[in-house]
Amino acid sequence: MDQSYKKKKIEIRNLTKKFNEKIILKNINFDLYEGESLAIIGASGSGKSVLLKNIIGLLKPEAGSIKINNVETVNLSRSKRENLLLELGITFQHGALFDSLTIWENVIFKIQRINKLSKIDGQKLALDIIKNLGLGSDILNLYPSEISGGMQKRIAIARAISSDPSILLFDEPTSGLDPVTGSVIDELIVKSVKRLCASAITITHDMASVSRIADKVILIDDQTISWTGKPNEMLKSNNAKIQQFIKALNPKLFK
Amino acid sequence: MKKRILNILESIGYTCIRFLSQIGNFFIFCISSIFWAIRPPWYFKQIHSQIIDIGYFSLPVVGLTTFFSGMVLALQTSIGFSEFNSESTVARVVLTSITKELGPVLTGLMVAGRVGAKMAAEIATMKVTEQIDALGTLGTRPMQYLIAPKLIASLICVPFLVLIGNTIGILGGYVIAIYKLDFNPDLYLYATIEHLYWIDVVQGLVKASIFGFLISMLSCYFGYNASRGAEGVGYATTSAVVTSSVMILTSTYIITALFFG
Ligand SMILES: Nc1ncnc2c1ncn2[C@@H]1O[C@H](COP(=O)(O)OP(=O)(O)OP(=O)(O)O)[C@@H](O)[C@H]1O
Ligand SMILES: [Mg+2]
Repeated sequence: MDQSYKKKKIEIRNLTKKFNEKIILKNINFDLYEGESLAIIGASGSGKSVLLKNIIGLLKPEAGSIKINNVETVNLSRSKRENLLLELGITFQHGALFDSLTIWENVIFKIQRINKLSKIDGQKLALDIIKNLGLGSDILNLYPSEISGGMQKRIAIARAISSDPSILLFDEPTSGLDPVTGSVIDELIVKSVKRLCASAITITHDMASVSRIADKVILIDDQTISWTGKPNEMLKSNNAKIQQFIKALNPKLFK
Repeated sequence: MKKRILNILESIGYTCIRFLSQIGNFFIFCISSIFWAIRPPWYFKQIHSQIIDIGYFSLPVVGLTTFFSGMVLALQTSIGFSEFNSESTVARVVLTSITKELGPVLTGLMVAGRVGAKMAAEIATMKVTEQIDALGTLGTRPMQYLIAPKLIASLICVPFLVLIGNTIGILGGYVIAIYKLDFNPDLYLYATIEHLYWIDVVQGLVKASIFGFLISMLSCYFGYNASRGAEGVGYATTSAVVTSSVMILTSTYIITALFFG
């Protein structure tokens, strides 16, 4: 598909990230277009989460450029970055739910910042959102520590998409979930991208998810992007790392 | 041999530099906390719950410690000055020691142990579980949402606690004076009121505000800079309590020597 007419949501050029002289990422280049869903795969410790944190400004790259909506974000002033972040919906690898707030307060946290809702309206809105994720009203008033790990994962996703962001960033949204719930989440990501005409980056280890959600896949290996392509091209590729990743799962998915 | 001396010097130098940079970082942290505390939006719900936590729930331990301190003060001074005019002496010693020194310091130490530990642990946990990072991505400034309410609430609550602690401490002295030492209640009360100088109370309240500032800032600072999982949370909590306590005892001397000496 020709994407030259589409808007670029994220553009990353020559990104390098080190921790104390230890290079984690170098020469990372990729684009994320409007309406596109990108999957990032790579071995544990390859720097996927670090890449995501660079994009949202929690970590600062040693070199390179990160543009979001055509705005250079490296060295951006605090207030401009805050405005930019409002357009992003993010889930962290370990959920990072606020454990002093109830589930419904967690889900509509960002909306509450913008316009205050009453408890009843807030709970109703939160319920609408978590219904799509296969959760019910029974957990609304519980605290994050009182629901299962898989539920926490889904609440984190609900919190990220609650304010209808135009860029979605998910760090392993389906890890630790049963396959059925996993596919529900995948569907939700696909639906959200369609509905909001959003762009998404999803970090995942699950090849089945990749085939379901991604228009484009990048593999991070040896500190940089070692393979880029469409999900169904992964099968034909003779890149050794890709082969390794696919070996572990049913190749039928890629027919 | 030469190398070993160099090594020792190097580690001393390293420690000094780290200490200085910690102080610098703490200073910056305080400035930005104040900066965020004085500008809108104010999270009144957070401030309110902190006030309940710091002010209301500290009342029992503050009351208990100051009450017994007042009692023991009365008892000890009565032994020392048993000869003449003891009503006036005991009342005066109890009053001045409590309002100027013991009230603020004991309250400060109790709040540091109870509230400081809690603040540090809460913020450190949020830090190591990425909740603070998440706050930043959800349209909220962590400094403003988490730190500023704690600072504001401490500045309000600790002076109040000290006032209440002072009153209870003096009451403790009164109880011993009347029921154990068989003093004349009227004379004792009269002596207490006669020696009640507003400057002493102000001195105590100035100290209380500074302690409140130190406790909240140190606790939040150690919590905010926590790293490395559960161990980091424990380290932050211990550092917060130990440093606040030491700072309370050091600063009370400095304040007295500088401004009221
Ligand atoms: N704050 C940090 N300080 C120092 N090193 C770090 C820090 N964060 C991450 N690293 C290092 O960066 C590397 C990449 O970490 P990262 O969390 O991005 O891995 P990942 O690809 O997300 O792995 P996983 O799939 O297991 O989540 C690791 O070697 C890790 O040790
Ligand atoms: Mg990761």
